[in-house]
Amino acid sequence: MTIGLLAEKFRVPICIALVLGGWQIIFALGVVNEKYFPSILTIASAFWQMLTDGVVISAWATTFLRALIGLIGAALLGVALAILSDLSPVLSRGIRYVSDVLQPIPPAAFVPMAVFMLGLGTKLYAFVIILVTVWPPYLNGVAALAGVGQVQLNTGRMFGLTDWGLLWRVKLPAALPEIFTGIRYAATLSLIAVIVSEMLAGRDGIGFMIFKKAFAMRTPEVFGLMFLVAINGVLLNGLVNLLRRGLTGWHIRMMERPE
Amino acid sequence: MKRETRIALLGLLVPLAILGLWQGAALLQKTPLFPGPAKVTLAIWSNYPVILRELGVTLLRAAMGFGLAAVTMIPLGICLGRVRILGRVLEPLMDMLATLPPPAIIPLVMLFAGTGDWAKVVIIAYAAAVPLLMNTYEASHSIHPMLSRVARSLHLSRIETMRLIDWPSSLPMIATGARLAIASSLLVSVTSEMLLATNGIGTYLQRSQETFKIDAGLAGIAFISLAGILVNAGVLRLEKKWLFWHYRDQRPTE
Repeated sequence: MTIGLLAEKFRVPICIALVLGGWQIIFALGVVNEKYFPSILTIASAFWQMLTDGVVISAWATTFLRALIGLIGAALLGVALAILSDLSPVLSRGIRYVSDVLQPIPPAAFVPMAVFMLGLGTKLYAFVIILVTVWPPYLNGVAALAGVGQVQLNTGRMFGLTDWGLLWRVKLPAALPEIFTGIRYAATLSLIAVIVSEMLAGRDGIGFMIFKKAFAMRTPEVFGLMFLVAINGVLLNGLVNLLRRGLTGWHIRMMERPE
Repeated sequence: MKRETRIALLGLLVPLAILGLWQGAALLQKTPLFPGPAKVTLAIWSNYPVILRELGVTLLRAAMGFGLAAVTMIPLGICLGRVRILGRVLEPLMDMLATLPPPAIIPLVMLFAGTGDWAKVVIIAYAAAVPLLMNTYEASHSIHPMLSRVARSLHLSRIETMRLIDWPSSLPMIATGARLAIASSLLVSVTSEMLLATNGIGTYLQRSQETFKIDAGLAGIAFISLAGILVNAGVLRLEKKWLFWHYRDQRPTE
């Protein structure tokens, strides 16, 4: 048990060691051509060189900010739409039609068609991100608001809460954990939407850089940039989790309660 | 019943209003690069044989990628969820995997595997792997404490607990993961075809843009959406059929 606790405490270093170790073993075995599978050292030095250039930093910031702002907008819009849908079944049905039609369409598909309508600037990114990212928070929100237990609702009514109070004090808190699951998924989607848009229509950002380097066969740089994309994901996820702990700490404590 | 149909019909007003706004904006713009719904409908009529053929290629690839992910990731997820220490320790690794968006690995896979069929299947499998693994893991490690207590007080053996308690209680969430994974393999199959253009509906979209046939491109998007709706509806139906007990319990008792 003590070994277990120790392993759990140092799980991040362990994971990193596993990845790096596994990588170096594959590299040392020489199964893959070195040109396509460079050693960690080569990647690190290429990455460092790009960092000192300064170009990467600005590309990273551009991509991250786009994804973050898009996510915040989409999450707020999604929750607002979910609350409206909870009040009006007709609206809920109507938005459901729209989301059913739009959800199966990948963000990439919107880009080439929207370029002519919206240009290559901020409008394009906002359009693509919101169209793709708004649905997980919305759908989870609708499901969670509808799924609040009768006991909880009746308790709220017994305390004399109005419809508005019931929504704000009972339904929304009860729905938040599930909404956050949606937002977490939306964070990934938002990053995908940004990177794909940058790959297809971009002139800046990490997505654009990755493709440029891949076509120039600069493998170490491609790996380095992918690492940066993953960092973006971790950062975005971390921010969402921080917010989730702040807002739904009671739920997490309930689920992790030691027996 | 009557109320349901009224809601369904009134709800149609929302998409109709959006289509109306779009048509209005298109009429104001008066350029072939901003076609309205009417022009797109015409384009659907004149292009559907090509679109359907390309869509078939795409769907086949998506199915292969999803299959590959399902047979590997569901067992792995259960393992990580049940062997608590393994799951807890490797959680950051899973988060890392989950945060590397599938399109970001497209350029890399291109370096390794070129632009052929297998490159795309690998990318699709990666995309499907993430929701499958995450949901299976979450489902099998966050079983409600009450259920474990019930199992203990009934003196169920390990195997019985797994079969009678763990598997059914995590199945709905695994099914959700599979549904997400299917949706995301469809999405990524199109994306990979757009970036590694050889054939398939993604390549068709890309060609449409290059030849300024925006209406044909939007027609292609309409078919992607339709295919997605049909596939998702089919999956949902299977889910409802197999997990009827879960949905029955969810209905509020009045």
